[in-house]
Amino acid sequence: MSFNARITMPTEAKAGEIVEIKVLTRHAMDRGGQSDGKGGTVPRKILNRLTATYAGEPIFRFDMHTGVSANPFVSFTTRAVATGDIIFEWREDGGATYTRTARLTVT
Amino acid sequence: MSSAISPRSRRSEAGLDRRCVLAGAAAGLLVSALPGRAATEPSPDLAQLIARVTEGVAPERGRITLSIPALAENGNSVDTRILVESPMTGADYVRWIHLIAEKNPFPDMARFHLGPRAGRAEVSTTLRIAQSQKVAVVAALSDGRFVMTDADIVVTLSACIDGG
Repeated sequence: MSFNARITMPTEAKAGEIVEIKVLTRHAMDRGGQSDGKGGTVPRKILNRLTATYAGEPIFRFDMHTGVSANPFVSFTTRAVATGDIIFEWREDGGATYTRTARLTVT
Repeated sequence: MSSAISPRSRRSEAGLDRRCVLAGAAAGLLVSALPGRAATEPSPDLAQLIARVTEGVAPERGRITLSIPALAENGNSVDTRILVESPMTGADYVRWIHLIAEKNPFPDMARFHLGPRAGRAEVSTTLRIAQSQKVAVVAALSDGRFVMTDADIVVTLSACIDGG
């Protein structure tokens, strides 16, 4: 399964500043239900959750259902509090997880 | 009338035409059958869907800016931006934002969980919209209240029409 993510955000910010984080993911987000040609149906296989953790604390969670497009895009904001890693974790139907990390330096 | 076109090619053209007509008729039947089938099924209406999300509490209207195109050429990816008026402090913040499309096969499209650390209750994403319908946004506030807004969207090319 091809998965890729592009995270767009500032690399540094002033303390207290609100930064916008944009995440574009490459994923088919197969909603399932189509015929598989053998009398059955294709199971759903989407990314069902994206969580963002900033300096060890969860800051954002995005629950996705079949109403989210293929190659989903999401943007959200967070207040810059301390220099640290923002960890993005996706959970896919079937239990696979994908992780990406971005660093935010707070001045 | 004599022309450069051979009888053979004319015949195949006629055949193609017949196929087109048949395919068109079949498509027409399919299209006319779809709303009929949908109408016979008990379609859960938007108010019920919202009540389920808010656990019965009636949300107030307003405080949400929903930016969604009024006309989408392609329902497979519709850019949506939501801004909820909220100070986003520890005492008063938006807990989550929920997106509902009443006529989607699965009406609950997505939910954004926010917290006071978001700084601003502003999110955006790309949605799949099955057909022309009303899209509703419900936001849960930290004091237990709910706010909502909705917007009508016309979808020219529907998502979810492929795959038999």
